[in-house]
Amino acid sequence: MRSVTDPAVPTLADCKRMHRSLCRIRFFEGQVQRFAAAGEVPGFAHLSTGQEAVAVGVCAHLTRDDALFTSHRGHGHALAKGCDLQATFAEIIGRESGLCRGRGGSMHLADATNGMLGATGVVAGNLPLAAGAAWVFQARGEITVSVVFFGDGATGAGVFHETLNLAMLWRLPLLFVCENNGYAEFTSREEHSNVKQVSAFAVPYGMPARTIDGNDLLAVHAAAGEAIAGLRRGSGPYLLECMTYRMAGHFVGDAQHYRSKQELAAVKEKCPIERMRRHLIERGVKESELDAIGEDARQEVLQAVARARAAPRPDPATVLNYVYSATSLAATSGVIP
Amino acid sequence: MALVALEIPKVGLVMENARLVRWLKKVGDAVQQGEPLLELETEKSVVEIESTETGRLVEILLQADQDARVGDRIAWLENGAPETDRIKSSPVARRFAAEHALDLRGIAGTGPRGRVQLSDVRRASLAAAPQDLESLSSMRRALARSVTLSNATVPQFTVERAVDWTALNTLRAKLAAEWPAGTLLPSVNDFLLQSIARALLLHPALNVTFWAGDNSSDAGVVPAKSTHIGLVVAVTDGLLVPVFHGVEKLGLKELARSRRELIDRALKGTLKREELEGATFSVSNLGKGGPDRFNAVINPPQSAILAVGRQRDCVVVLNGSIHTRPMCQLTLTVDHRVADGRLASDFLASLVAILEGEPDV
Amino acid sequence: MIRTFIEILRRALDEELERDPAVHLLGEDVAEGGAFGVTRGLAEKYGAHRVRNTPISEAAITGIATGAALCGLRPVLEIMFIDFATLALDCLVNQSAKYRYMSGGQLAVPMVVRTQAGAAGGAAAQHSQSLEAWFIHVPGLVVVAPSSPVEAYGLLKSAVRLGDPVLFIEHKRLYALKEALVVDGELPQIGKARVARVGTDVTLIAYSAMVRNALEAADELSRSGLSVEVIDLRTLLPLDMTTIAASVSKTHRAVIAHEAVQNGGVGAEISARIGGELFDELDAPVTRVACPFAPIPFAPELERALLPGTPNIVRAVRAVAGLSAQSGE
Repeated sequence: MRSVTDPAVPTLADCKRMHRSLCRIRFFEGQVQRFAAAGEVPGFAHLSTGQEAVAVGVCAHLTRDDALFTSHRGHGHALAKGCDLQATFAEIIGRESGLCRGRGGSMHLADATNGMLGATGVVAGNLPLAAGAAWVFQARGEITVSVVFFGDGATGAGVFHETLNLAMLWRLPLLFVCENNGYAEFTSREEHSNVKQVSAFAVPYGMPARTIDGNDLLAVHAAAGEAIAGLRRGSGPYLLECMTYRMAGHFVGDAQHYRSKQELAAVKEKCPIERMRRHLIERGVKESELDAIGEDARQEVLQAVARARAAPRPDPATVLNYVYSATSLAATSGVIP
Repeated sequence: MALVALEIPKVGLVMENARLVRWLKKVGDAVQQGEPLLELETEKSVVEIESTETGRLVEILLQADQDARVGDRIAWLENGAPETDRIKSSPVARRFAAEHALDLRGIAGTGPRGRVQLSDVRRASLAAAPQDLESLSSMRRALARSVTLSNATVPQFTVERAVDWTALNTLRAKLAAEWPAGTLLPSVNDFLLQSIARALLLHPALNVTFWAGDNSSDAGVVPAKSTHIGLVVAVTDGLLVPVFHGVEKLGLKELARSRRELIDRALKGTLKREELEGATFSVSNLGKGGPDRFNAVINPPQSAILAVGRQRDCVVVLNGSIHTRPMCQLTLTVDHRVADGRLASDFLASLVAILEGEPDV
Repeated sequence: MIRTFIEILRRALDEELERDPAVHLLGEDVAEGGAFGVTRGLAEKYGAHRVRNTPISEAAITGIATGAALCGLRPVLEIMFIDFATLALDCLVNQSAKYRYMSGGQLAVPMVVRTQAGAAGGAAAQHSQSLEAWFIHVPGLVVVAPSSPVEAYGLLKSAVRLGDPVLFIEHKRLYALKEALVVDGELPQIGKARVARVGTDVTLIAYSAMVRNALEAADELSRSGLSVEVIDLRTLLPLDMTTIAASVSKTHRAVIAHEAVQNGGVGAEISARIGGELFDELDAPVTRVACPFAPIPFAPELERALLPGTPNIVRAVRAVAGLSAQSGE
């Protein structure tokens, strides 16, 4: 395995692997969209289509031991962190074989064995949790780091600022990754805040920060690599603002009346997968090979989805499991009515 | 709030029609249960009719001088408390009362607003049952139920007569001498059963069971087609009354065998259900060590029971001279709904005549 | 050895820090001893990393404790007043309480949030509340409210060792209280109530500082011939219905006393549970003694006028027992 402290330009093989990872997320979200439209996905499904490069570029530098927290738009982050495709999809459609046994769903993906410590449905709600994980790593003197993904909408929450302050104060190994997709739910950034760039919020706390093109996988890879290497060296937290674009609506079924036709057409131009494809062709990779990579990823996703859909649903009799530890329940009859 | 109808009640046994003399209350008045409501003129007299409910008089349906029949609706009363007979009681008091078969209505509540509390029910239960109470066996409980039912629901009277056993004793001595050794000899009870059967056939009006439906107008008697007589047998912790069916058809030998078998099985507790049912009459004989005379309690729905006192030598006057004779006192208890004193007395006379005469061997 | 509530809490924390290196303290001023001096000297003993001061950021520090608990620490967080727990509610309710469930049992949040509640000494409307009822409404949380220094010692140690997020509510009226601590090695079980006084006529259920009032009331009532059983709940969630049921089945009468307002309070929950599960045991309506529905006032006269105390409990128990309202026979 390549040293995680080396943020060097990725090799061609790395690039092909990351390209495949982008395709996997794209196809995965396509399947979520398809089955959400068909009514097979309970609740709200938020797609990360168009934002794949941030997930892949950042997570390329993480090991299983590093902690990752994400937002309600976190399918791509979970997959990039190494969560099993089938278990992730099974969770999103509420199956017992899902990551969280069907108790969490799309907005609460968690996979402890892969360091995926949870997504949250409360915007900015888990920023301090990521700081808590970073505090543990720091206290133990480990080189592991904590990463939290959030949208630009999270900057409106007080706890975002509290966490920036604390993380910098305690010099925590914590990477804040803002996916600035220009929209907080249905409202554009201009209507949210006078502060144009999220990275500007880091300035008063003295935290290093950068704003980069989040649709450029190589740019994300390079910036995240440098930031994470710094974290591992103990140089304190970092805020990476990735300008990206939400190609899908806020949630599946969002008619997106707030976007113009021209705007939607421009989306294709910005597509991170198209850009990575152009880059690889420039570096001499044949289109047929890229097509084959894409097809391979597609097949992997399709098979995982098929297996997830065939998996058993949770047993209603188990609905009260996992509320408390056995010790908490020891004094009761095992269940708290 | 609920509306309740007031009706003309039946006054006395025979009233059919009546005339309303005057109302003692007017519309809007509050009326207490038991308070005089109106005057009614019946065939016999003018009577005050009391309200059967508490409430406010809201409408008068029958005016003065109008005729009324029993059951006619005469007024509407607005009843403010449909749950007037609901007893305020705490849940645990209700549970305790139910477990101890106590009626909350008989218990004074000392809680807030007269609520019957656990302490009230406990007190009542202690008063009802002493601490060293030993519960009854199932046989005694059944017996207790039966005699209580008898005493509470059957109007009973008794008639009494002495019977002279001389003839019977002579006959028994004769049979003992004549019948081959080892033959089961008839007992006094066998003679009693046989004689009662004959007397019942002479007085079929007493050979009945009394049947009372829910409504007393359904009450009646069910005549028996044969003679079915119960014999009271003392067993451990109680008594059983095995029934001899078709006694008039049995000879003394058969009767003796049947008696021995039934008593035997009564003592063993192996009587069949049909051997305990169907009698119209019972006989209770407490035997040699028994009292001179006693009263027995009717076993419903039978019509009568004969209590047989011990046999003893008494001085009697016969045809103007004094004699000593083996005498015994017979006490017949009769259901008054079935028979009057005349029938009871005639039956007893017939029975004595049969016992003192020549029994049918 | 006679110790105050504060000293006994400190000793419990000291012992837990000593016992388990995963135990860390954090909160505003804790390295300096905290606002009430509970953690005094611990930072010197265990280092600033294990006894860590935080900014006044209740939302963030509760999140940090939660995240740290997810990664294997056993944080003990101090929220200076329960009134400020409002600022940490998102984390406690949406994150800490639900992590085990939302993750299908993969992750747990073994943390203790120590906080201080109740009215005393004119702390007024924003530093005196009893907000425990909010938290017993949240599946996944554990709520503990000790009634004395000795109780707090064992319960805090048990809470630190539990696998779930615990809200540990210390009543400020108890802080100066002194008791002799005898350590017998047996820690109380979370979720188990304690019969603080045995009686036969009325069950009096209380928690936190109100247990002292309940015991006072029981003493006074015993002079009227009334035998009152006092249950110290210790844990409000999970609620120990077994102990309550055993007592109410014996006395057939229950009074619940707490300092929090009556509306939607812990007493409402217990009352409903008794009514539903023990209906046939009841000889009188379940009665609550609680704070009238108003914020805690500032002026001492007003504070005294509002807070329920021993006389309120005595009156309520006498009424439930069917005795006249006046004290004494």
